[in-house]
Amino acid sequence: MTVETPLLRLENITRNFGAIDALRGITFDIHRGEVVALLGDNGAGKSTLVKIIAGGLQPTSGTMVFEGRQRSFSSPAEAKAAGIETVYQDLSLCTNVDVVANFFMGREIVKRYFGIPVLQEAEMQAAAAQAIANAGTKIPSLRINVEHLSGGQRQAIELNRFVHWGGKLVLLDEPFAALGVEQTRRGLDMVKRIAAQGIGVVIITHIMAQAFQVADRIVVIRHGKVAGNVRTKNTSPDEVVRMITGEALEAAAQEMRPNGPQLVQ
Amino acid sequence: MISPFQRALIEFALDNLVWFMLVFVLAIFSLTIPNFFQIGIFANIVEQSTFVGVMAIGLAIVIIAGHMDLSVESVAALSAMITGILFCSHGIGQGYTLTPAWLVIPVAALIAIFVGGVIGAMNGWLVVKLQMNAFIVTLASYIWVRGLVVAISGGRSAQDLAPPLRFIGIETMGFIPLIAWIAIICFVVFTFIMGRTPFGRHVTMIGGNAVATFRAGIKVDQLVLLTFVLAGAIAGLAGLLLAIRTSGATANLGTGMLFNAFAAVVIGGVSLKGGVGRLPGVYAGVLLLSSIHTAINLMGLPAHYTQVILGALVLAAVLLDTVKLSIKQMLA
Repeated sequence: MTVETPLLRLENITRNFGAIDALRGITFDIHRGEVVALLGDNGAGKSTLVKIIAGGLQPTSGTMVFEGRQRSFSSPAEAKAAGIETVYQDLSLCTNVDVVANFFMGREIVKRYFGIPVLQEAEMQAAAAQAIANAGTKIPSLRINVEHLSGGQRQAIELNRFVHWGGKLVLLDEPFAALGVEQTRRGLDMVKRIAAQGIGVVIITHIMAQAFQVADRIVVIRHGKVAGNVRTKNTSPDEVVRMITGEALEAAAQEMRPNGPQLVQ
Repeated sequence: MISPFQRALIEFALDNLVWFMLVFVLAIFSLTIPNFFQIGIFANIVEQSTFVGVMAIGLAIVIIAGHMDLSVESVAALSAMITGILFCSHGIGQGYTLTPAWLVIPVAALIAIFVGGVIGAMNGWLVVKLQMNAFIVTLASYIWVRGLVVAISGGRSAQDLAPPLRFIGIETMGFIPLIAWIAIICFVVFTFIMGRTPFGRHVTMIGGNAVATFRAGIKVDQLVLLTFVLAGAIAGLAGLLLAIRTSGATANLGTGMLFNAFAAVVIGGVSLKGGVGRLPGVYAGVLLLSSIHTAINLMGLPAHYTQVILGALVLAAVLLDTVKLSIKQMLA
């Protein structure tokens, strides 16, 4: 089997804040259609890493190879243009307008009459309905203001919007923190569906059960380094907990579960 | 459960509540106050709504964008005073004339709008680039622009505006004065801009969640600046209309209009938190206020009661807004 180029390859990423080394050489790959759960204790460096991937922070050293090309994003907008985006709950929706307006935020379909751009509501609604139906999401009405929708539905809108506009790698930081049991289950299903469309998903979570439910691979960060990089089906929650707390020797963990799926073949 | 049709009906009623209130109030007044129900009274209500109405458009747009503009009243006064000084023939008026004479209309309009736009741009620049609080910035403008009006006029007034301009103030079309038609046209145009163009959509979304719009690549700073320029320019136009109506300008022209405009904006359903509100509602709010003014005059009540009623009405409007919100949440 040929080795597919990873969607994103992180090579020896480091980042210091003054004298503090937040990241001390992170190396791993994310593939198309793969869900990677990023685990680690508070302060392990997960958030810093996610910010670097999404362009919010720049690494002190190390390289990022996205779709086979070395890239360095100087802003979230640049990363977004390349197809990498962080989906934060509520931070990227305007709850005071309807679903369609949010779906087309900043990319409205317009038609010019005498040079004046006029919103094409019917066209936008049809496109949004199509995209949301394709993703298997149920929203009561696309003309309802987002403030009246549940947290799960809001997340669905954000993710569907991301996919619709050509997103390739989505970063989810504690996406289900504020959701109920049923909504979380639906959210996890949605993450799987999105990955099935060939999109790379990185999900940060504290909840082991969620990681095992949804992720293809679990990457554990400890003290700014990769303490474990394992396929979900080859590991157990206990083992992952030992990686997070550092009980398993880092070297041993790396050796037992060699890097990434392409080596596991 | 309610059917989608019922839901749409309720939402329609809630969205246009202030119009229903207006009709209700007018009906009550017509039935209870002698001589209220006549075309002249209604035309008068529409005419009185012109100045506060036009001013309220710009104020509403800035508030929808999540900011605040307290300077509109003083800006209107400045535009009125500059128009007055240039085109009035008595008092401090210089009495400039143009040939052909009607050219004074577009020239005066451009000057008034430009003056307003400049003040608005200064407000917007301070808010956007220097990250100053809009409330404070525009409060300062409210004070210094009015001071400028007093300074350039020396406290004196300009009278007898150029005849082509006065024509607009005197003539009517279908019982309604031309200046009132200008206000109505402004409302129609800006309702369209806010509801049907990307500009209006983006301004509304900025008022709802500026971070999200920024992340979506919308040029937030540029648009916010533009809303301040618009508010200033529209206030300038309101000032011109005021000068036309009074055929001149005094140093204290339009004092107190800011609070009426604010009241109308709030009664019209614009949320001071930003992101919520539509201009037709604001116009209905202005008409409602004018109707109440007129009713109080007709009943022969001392004019001082107007303010008491106005204040109560603003409170009622805000209360109503919270009720509306909870009904909407129940529907969802």
